[in-house]
Amino acid sequence: MSVAASLDLVSIPDRIQLEVQRAIQRSIKGVEYFSTSGPTVGVTPRDLLRGRGTMNLYHYRPQAAEVYRVPVLIVMATTNRGYIFDLVPGQSMIEFLLKRGYDVYMLEWNPPKPEEKSLRMEDYVLDFIPDCVSAIQHDSGEEDISLIGYCFGGVLSLLYGSIFKNGPMKNLVCFTTPIDFHEMKLFTNFADRRYFDVDGLLDSVGNMPPEMILSSFEMLRPASRVAAQVQLWDNIWNDEYVKSYRMFDRWATDALPLAGDYFRAITKDLMWDNKLFNGTMSVGGRKADLADIKVPILHAVAEHDHIVPYESAKHLVQRVGSSDREEVILKGGHVSLIAGANAVRRLWPKLDSWLAGRST
Amino acid sequence: MTDKSSDPIALWQKMIGEMEKGFNAFANRTMTSPEFSKTMNQAGGAAAGAQKQLGDFMEKYLVSMNMPSRAQMVGMAERLQSIENAKVGGAQPAASSPSKPPRTKRPPAASDPAKGETA
Repeated sequence: MSVAASLDLVSIPDRIQLEVQRAIQRSIKGVEYFSTSGPTVGVTPRDLLRGRGTMNLYHYRPQAAEVYRVPVLIVMATTNRGYIFDLVPGQSMIEFLLKRGYDVYMLEWNPPKPEEKSLRMEDYVLDFIPDCVSAIQHDSGEEDISLIGYCFGGVLSLLYGSIFKNGPMKNLVCFTTPIDFHEMKLFTNFADRRYFDVDGLLDSVGNMPPEMILSSFEMLRPASRVAAQVQLWDNIWNDEYVKSYRMFDRWATDALPLAGDYFRAITKDLMWDNKLFNGTMSVGGRKADLADIKVPILHAVAEHDHIVPYESAKHLVQRVGSSDREEVILKGGHVSLIAGANAVRRLWPKLDSWLAGRST
Repeated sequence: MTDKSSDPIALWQKMIGEMEKGFNAFANRTMTSPEFSKTMNQAGGAAAGAQKQLGDFMEKYLVSMNMPSRAQMVGMAERLQSIENAKVGGAQPAASSPSKPPRTKRPPAASDPAKGETA
């Protein structure tokens, strides 16, 4: 069949008209794009329960007439801002959980200041998380708490749960959480101990600069930023597309610095020695063995996660000591798993159905 | 409407997607080599060293000019921000939160946890 024959000739004038309209819209919307800011994110009402340096614990105001007994603490990854869980109404996991009757708290991070460069893994696992748990117990009047950790927030939650094995963590949910760091092959190569002088770097810069963290993420898919901008121009006539692009682009580029000694521990203990996977991890002299986690656990991973490949995350549910454990593989990438239109349909209902029966 | 196999716009979008995938795959293969790591870290180390030296030099220069350094300005901005936060709110103390709902919610019948290993 010839190309001419395969074309629907009748529709060509309509198509030309549509493309001309879109070209005009692109010009108008393009000007709008550069003259306006993106949508306001993170608007769900909340109260700061505890703030101390890089640590911020927020309590979201309940939106249901009654809530489940067990409060939920979301532990955000230390590399990024927590508003990925609270983009805009209708695309907010926080809002979703509140409306489903959960009492939601979030531990998220301020950029560590230069004088916080000496924060260590111990400060995060043995101080910040227990401090937040204690504050939630006091605020809610409940002993039990469910933890939800995203990415490296999941690693921190695992370390916390394996050290504080007698509670008060009642349930653990991990989103895209790596434990076998040698399977994060590109990051492992970037941090090759033969060439990566982590001590020299941190002695120079103090805290790990966000630009370097962002660059390392972008290097995983070096063509994607340019391609995304081409796609943005193609779709700039589409308000919904532009809104979504701006939200995710803002979040992705809003990386946080990492405290120097904390990053040093990540590099040496996890990237180099793979201690969490090998069962030799300890924090502040306290052994952190995944087998000591006995609480119900759900691990949600993304089918197309380029940051935390499945190979680096797949052993989690097998390594924990829980009898009630589940891994769910969902379509999507590292971010679209937890936020955006796909998450609304896939992850959030799964999270609700798993957590509800374990939250009484 | 034209079908996607003959739609030039759809073909263009597909081509961009394929080019992105192809370039990413090629770059990823290159970036897994030890040579890449060596070169990248040498360049990164040199840049960090140069940045530190420049920072130290600027610090000394600003002190000699009796001017505040960037760190001092950032510190002052943070103090102002914390004062502003305390004055205008945004971070309300927990005591001011509205009354708390009862913790009596029960799950729908279908949400009872399935006991036992499901992994």
